[in-house]
Amino acid sequence: MKKILAVVSMLVAFILILTACYGNSSQSSSTSSSSSQSSTVTSSNNSSTPLSPNASAFDTTKNISILAREDGSGTKTAFMELIGLKGKADPENVIIQTGTAGILTEVKGNPNAIAYESLGYVTNDVKMLKVDGVEATVANIKNGTYKISRPLSIVYKEATLNNDINKAYYVFLQSSDAQTIISGEGYVSIADNALAYKINGSLQGSIDISGSTSLQPLMTELAAAFEKLQPNIDVTVSGGGSGTGYKNADEGVSEFGMISEEFSLEKAPSCTDYVVCKDGIAVIINKNNPLDSILVSDLKNIYDIEAGSSAITKWNALIK
Amino acid sequence: MNKTFRFIKARDNIMRGIFLFCAVFSIFALGCICVFLFANGVPFIGKIGLGNFFSTTWNLNNESYGILSMIVASLYVTALATTIGVAIGLCTAISLYKFCPKKIVPPIRQMINLLSGIPSVLYGLFGMVIIVPFLRDSVSPNGIGYGILAASLVLSIMVLPTIVSVSLDSLNAVPKNYYEGALALGTTKAQSVFMVMLPAAKNGIFAAIVLSIGRAIGETMAVIMVIGGSPLMPKGFFQSVRTLTANIAMGATELRGDAATALVATGLVLFFFTLLLNISFTLLKGGFSFERKRAQKTNA
Repeated sequence: MKKILAVVSMLVAFILILTACYGNSSQSSSTSSSSSQSSTVTSSNNSSTPLSPNASAFDTTKNISILAREDGSGTKTAFMELIGLKGKADPENVIIQTGTAGILTEVKGNPNAIAYESLGYVTNDVKMLKVDGVEATVANIKNGTYKISRPLSIVYKEATLNNDINKAYYVFLQSSDAQTIISGEGYVSIADNALAYKINGSLQGSIDISGSTSLQPLMTELAAAFEKLQPNIDVTVSGGGSGTGYKNADEGVSEFGMISEEFSLEKAPSCTDYVVCKDGIAVIINKNNPLDSILVSDLKNIYDIEAGSSAITKWNALIK
Repeated sequence: MNKTFRFIKARDNIMRGIFLFCAVFSIFALGCICVFLFANGVPFIGKIGLGNFFSTTWNLNNESYGILSMIVASLYVTALATTIGVAIGLCTAISLYKFCPKKIVPPIRQMINLLSGIPSVLYGLFGMVIIVPFLRDSVSPNGIGYGILAASLVLSIMVLPTIVSVSLDSLNAVPKNYYEGALALGTTKAQSVFMVMLPAAKNGIFAAIVLSIGRAIGETMAVIMVIGGSPLMPKGFFQSVRTLTANIAMGATELRGDAATALVATGLVLFFFTLLLNISFTLLKGGFSFERKRAQKTNA
């Protein structure tokens, strides 16, 4: 009898909990649907004016929730470098998310958030800002007008390509097989009309690639795909930084060096470069935020811990 | 006959060896972890200097590995979480002990125990999706939901099962005749529970508090998701800060070289904290069982 009572009361409690949860979720879903409606209104109005008329719905007196990635993240290093804050610590009250998904979830749910993310990973749940008036699109990154982007390249000596194995890898990097991987990993492919890679079964040997840790993850993927096509060629990819990339290619330690900046001939006089792809970083905000465009100088004042009196901490500094 | 006997003896010895290996394995694992922590952490702290290691600046770009602000954040979060958790948990235990219908005690206990079975990442998700936005929109003065308060609230729910079950067990371990004696002297039910039973069970309750502190200081995933993660000295409840555990977990997959070793050194500090808690728990538990024995003796 006791047992039955216990079981029954537990079931009742569970049902209560479940209904409570359901009530809650239906409530929240209704609010979110209404907010998405209002955001569609916002975006349709945005086409004509920089700020939508119903900007009043957004509380501009609120502090900006500044999001950032964790230390060691390639996206973070690249972003800080590109807006001119290389090597600086995060600003005060930064909220750190340890992954792309975390950043996107927070920006989607937090109306006051601002964040940066590799262009390839940005979804429709958040709003991308124009930077210095230029939209973050693949086309603008390709032609170089979008500021927060950089080339990821390999550097090599001309003579390196006389070797059939190295030549094969060089051709592979330009092939459509490689472009698929590049786009799939969230980078911007810049080779148009690429052809499929032709397998040459007689090749046998090894290739050493080292340098920029920003390009390393992608290069590792590319090398793995290449090894699948050419099982008798061994490709080793290691990090060390762009400096190592220049040095190893120049001194012939590695066949290819990886760099994540514009090629400078002074750093490796005997070498030339090939841009594997471009890396674009989008600045994203919540969909309910009426802001459309941001200046790099403003971004710098948001993310600079040493900005002092020029630091931007509230949205009304950007939305007037 | 002799052959069978020898076989049995050999089998016995083999099995004994296997069991001994299993027993020693956990000690071996503990030893390995200790060696790993000390061999990497101590030389690193020596290399960068105690002054750098216990400073408040954590900036990997100019080799500042100060973890003082994270120690402080860890202590704040743990203290607040334990305070909230103990306040709620102890009241729950007392109510389950004497003040609620006997029939609903088992289901309530069962459900509280169920709380301890929920994976910590779900607590983190709950905190991130429900608690943080709520704090951000309705409570926080500066529009930031992440921080010490959010982490403490999530953790206080997580430590509830420990506090309720351990303190309820220790209350139940107090001999019934204490309670009856107190009633016979003319106290009310509430007076006898609060004045007699609670003090008699105090060692067990302290043990519950120490255990929950241990859980709160060591919790990682749930905390990371609601703490914010900025390595600054905490100045208020609504400020993005970073605990020791969050520091380790955030960098573990990305950092290389010195920065990765700095995480091991952070782990060393955390290890000292938990060691301290474990020792104090053992001491308290010793007192707890002693009290029980004495009670049994007087019973007999």
